[in-house]
Formats: sequence, C-alpha cells, structure tokens
Amino acid sequence: MTARLLWNIFSVEVRKRMSYRADFWINSVVGVLVSLSVFWFLTYALFSASGQTMLAGYTERGMILYYVFVALMGRIVQSNEMEMGISQDIYEGSLTRYLIYPVSYKAVKYAEQAGSVAPQLIQLTLFGILAPLIIGIPPEVHITPASVAMGLTSLALANVLHYLLVIPIQAVAFWADNVWSLLVAERFAIAFLGGQLLPLGLFPEWARAGLEWLPFPYLFSFPARTLMGSVGPAEWAFGMVIALLWCGVAAGVGRWIWRRGDLEYSGVGI
Amino acid sequence: MRYLRLYLCFLRFSFSRAMAFRVDFFFRILMDVVWNIVNLAFFWILYQHTPVLGGWTFDQMMVFLGGVFVYDAIHMTVFSSNLWWFPIAINKGDLDYHLVRPVPPLFILSLREFAANSFVNLLVAAGILIWSLVRYPEPLRLFSVAVFLALLAVGVSLHYALNMIFLIPTFWMHSSSGLRDIFFSLEQYVTRPYGIFRGWLARMLTTILPFALVVSFPTRALFEGPSFSLLLHMLGVTAAAYIVMLTMWKSGLRAYVSASS
Repeated sequence: MTARLLWNIFSVEVRKRMSYRADFWINSVVGVLVSLSVFWFLTYALFSASGQTMLAGYTERGMILYYVFVALMGRIVQSNEMEMGISQDIYEGSLTRYLIYPVSYKAVKYAEQAGSVAPQLIQLTLFGILAPLIIGIPPEVHITPASVAMGLTSLALANVLHYLLVIPIQAVAFWADNVWSLLVAERFAIAFLGGQLLPLGLFPEWARAGLEWLPFPYLFSFPARTLMGSVGPAEWAFGMVIALLWCGVAAGVGRWIWRRGDLEYSGVGI
Repeated sequence: MRYLRLYLCFLRFSFSRAMAFRVDFFFRILMDVVWNIVNLAFFWILYQHTPVLGGWTFDQMMVFLGGVFVYDAIHMTVFSSNLWWFPIAINKGDLDYHLVRPVPPLFILSLREFAANSFVNLLVAAGILIWSLVRYPEPLRLFSVAVFLALLAVGVSLHYALNMIFLIPTFWMHSSSGLRDIFFSLEQYVTRPYGIFRGWLARMLTTILPFALVVSFPTRALFEGPSFSLLLHMLGVTAAAYIVMLTMWKSGLRAYVSASS
C-alpha cells in the first residue's frame, strides 16, 4: 500500500515534468550548453595560460568531460524546486493536509523530489553518450560498464544524501519566516565544495584532505569521477561508507530538529 | 523630483517591511556573503595553477570580481524583486492597477520593491571593490577609476534591459519560467572574464547577447585605458538594448488582455 502510493506520487511527478516538454528540453539544452561553454573556455584559458598538459589529473578534454558529467549528474542530485518546498509547506500551513496521509510526510516529499529529477536521467543518458563522442575520450578516462554501474549507484546515494542534508535547513521554517536564502546559500556552498564549479583536484592538498571526510564531494565530484573510471573499488567503497555515514548523521539531525519544530507548528500558515 | 519623492516612499516601505522579517533579513545577507566567498575562493584556486587567466593577473581579477559583486548587489537591491513579480503581474492581471496610475507603469513595475536586505550586501560589495582597488600593486589613474565606475553603472542598466527583454515575452507566451531560466543560465557569462572567450561566442557576448559588457568591459577600460571605441561600443549596445526593450514593452501592452494574460 505504502510502496504503491509512493510509486503513484513519483509517477505523477514524472508525468507533470514531461507535460511541459518544450520547456524541459529548451531549458535543459540551453542550460547545459551555457554551462558547458563557460567551463570549456575557462578550461582552455587555464591550460593555455599555465602551460601544463595535465592539471588535477586531467588533460583539457578530460576536465571538460568531468564538467559535462558533473553538470548532468548535478541535475539529478538536486531538484529545481528546492526539494519540493518543504519549508513552504511549513510556512504556509499546507503541511497539515499531509497529516492524513498513510505514509510519512518526508517519504512523500522524497517521492515527489525523485519524480521531478527522474526525467533528467534521459538527458544524462543522451548527453552522457554524446559528450564523449564529440569531445573524445582522453587516456585518463576509462568508462566501463562497471564504472557506469558504480557511478549510477553513487549518484542515487548522492540524491538521498542531498535530500537528507537539506531537511534540517528546510525545518528552520518552523521558526523563521523564509528560509529560501538559506537554501540558496547551501546550493552555492555545496556547488563549490562538492566539485561542481571546479574539480576538487585543483584545491590545495590541505583542503582536499579535509573535504574527503565531509559529505560535499560525495554529492557531485565522487559520482562523476566514479562514472569516468577515476575511482578504484577500494576508494569507491570508502566513499560510499562515508556518504552513508553522513546520510545517518543528516537523518538524525533532521529528525531532532523536525521534532522540536513540530511542537511549534500551529498549522495556521501566513 | 516627483519620481524621486515617489522612490523615497518605496524605500521607506521596503525598509519597514525588511525590519518586520528580521530573520530573513540576516539570511539574505548570509546568502550574499556565501556567494562572494565562493567566487573569491573559485578564482583564488584557479590562480594557484596559473599566473594569468583570460589576460588578467590575480590582482586584476580581484578588481573584476569586485565589479561583479557590485553589479550583482545593485541588481539584487534595486531590480531583482521587481523583475521577479513582473510576469506574475502580467499573468494575474495586476498590471491593470499600474496602468491606471499617474506614473509610467514601467517605473513602478521596475523600481517599486527595494530589497533592503540586499542593500547591506551592496555595502559589503562596495567594500570588496574598494579593497581590490586599494591593494592593486600598480598606480591607477583617478580618471580611469571614474570611467570604470560610470561604465559599471551603464553595465548594470544594460543588464536590467536584457533581463526585461527576456521577461516581456510573457505578454504573448503566458509563461515566463522558460525564458527566465534561460536568462539565469546566460548570466554566467557576466561573472566570468570576457578574455577567456574566443571566436563567435566572444563576438556574440559583445553584440547580440552583450553580457560581457556588464562588468568585463568596464574592467578593461580601467586596465587598458578608456578608449573611444570601447565607450562607443558600450553606449551604443546599451542604447540599442533599451530601444528593443521599449519597443517590445509597447507592443506587449497592446497585446495585454488583463487577467487572462
């Protein structure tokens, strides 16, 4: 019953996304092309000015390919709607209508969120196949069926991890009027610390050593590097364990904040 | 004078409203500070691997970034909230109320909401810009700095016109989300130095989609000296953008059918 309900919520969200197909494709194509062009020119400027042929373990083409995967996979890790506006539900009082649902509110929101990002898998598949064909596969990239399977598994975990990380921030809405700015700040921070703006290999050694123990690299950089075959089985297992541990920590903190917030909730809304 | 008095009223209401939502006020400041730190760290890391990027040294890039922060802060403070509500006013028919007022509707729609919380970020951004100019190792001519600041103001107004050009089609398309998202994507070109771009994209970014003119060209004027051709280019493209925007606005108003838009 619960699984079927969540599946229905998921599939309704997928259909909703696909009902605006022109918007979906125009935005996706333009968004990916603009980001890619900026990365492309930035990478070429960096390599030509530095005089190096390899930076952070990548050649020029390797780094561009990294950007392509990190941009495409990033759209699956986080949804455009800030995890379906949990904070908005709290603020407006619409959380109340979920109280009669036979499943947990957070599970419903996760099903919606997963449904909203699922169509992006089509783009990941399409552009993920096209990009290596257009850019070419440099020697440091080894995409194999195993690396794809491992990359997609870490991508699925990254999606769950991101969802759990934002719940405590969303729950601030129990006390604050508007947490939109906090969520945007979170997006800026994780894009940078997660390797979405720059490969983490370019960061200084001390920063890389610290980041390895934090959840951020496991959101973007880790799944993309895994897919590109840059992560061995031992490193992958270590990364997955760290990501799972952070899922546990984020879930625990989220639950604690939510319980406290629930006591404040009046259901009145604005 | 009348418009200035009206704008002062807008300011008063905006500050009162911002003070009513104090937590959000501080969250907005935090958001802008995080954005500034991320951008500074981004370029700092890149310059650990190269002495020059897009023809600019690290010190020059800091001045460029200072310009980016100031442009963004002015946009967020003065225009951003207004432009967010603009398509909603068209769709819901709220534009009706502005059309019957004794001031141009474009003035109210573009300037009514002053984001007081972003105003603090404007002070932070101005501070970073001043810091980057003061720490610049070579002497800068006062005239060049004045031209840089004036052109930055032109760049901000050009950015406003471009944003409007992407929003006015709501009169015909009835949905702004697609074009708005495309504009947000294109804004990335403002925050990266023009010198990194090559070929047809570089030409496009100074003509059809002149995002490179917003901050990169004023920064070029500062370091390379304000040439006549650069000034003419910036002013010409900005004037053209305003002509396009006002033409679209007028024809959009003719197509406006109140709430069903």
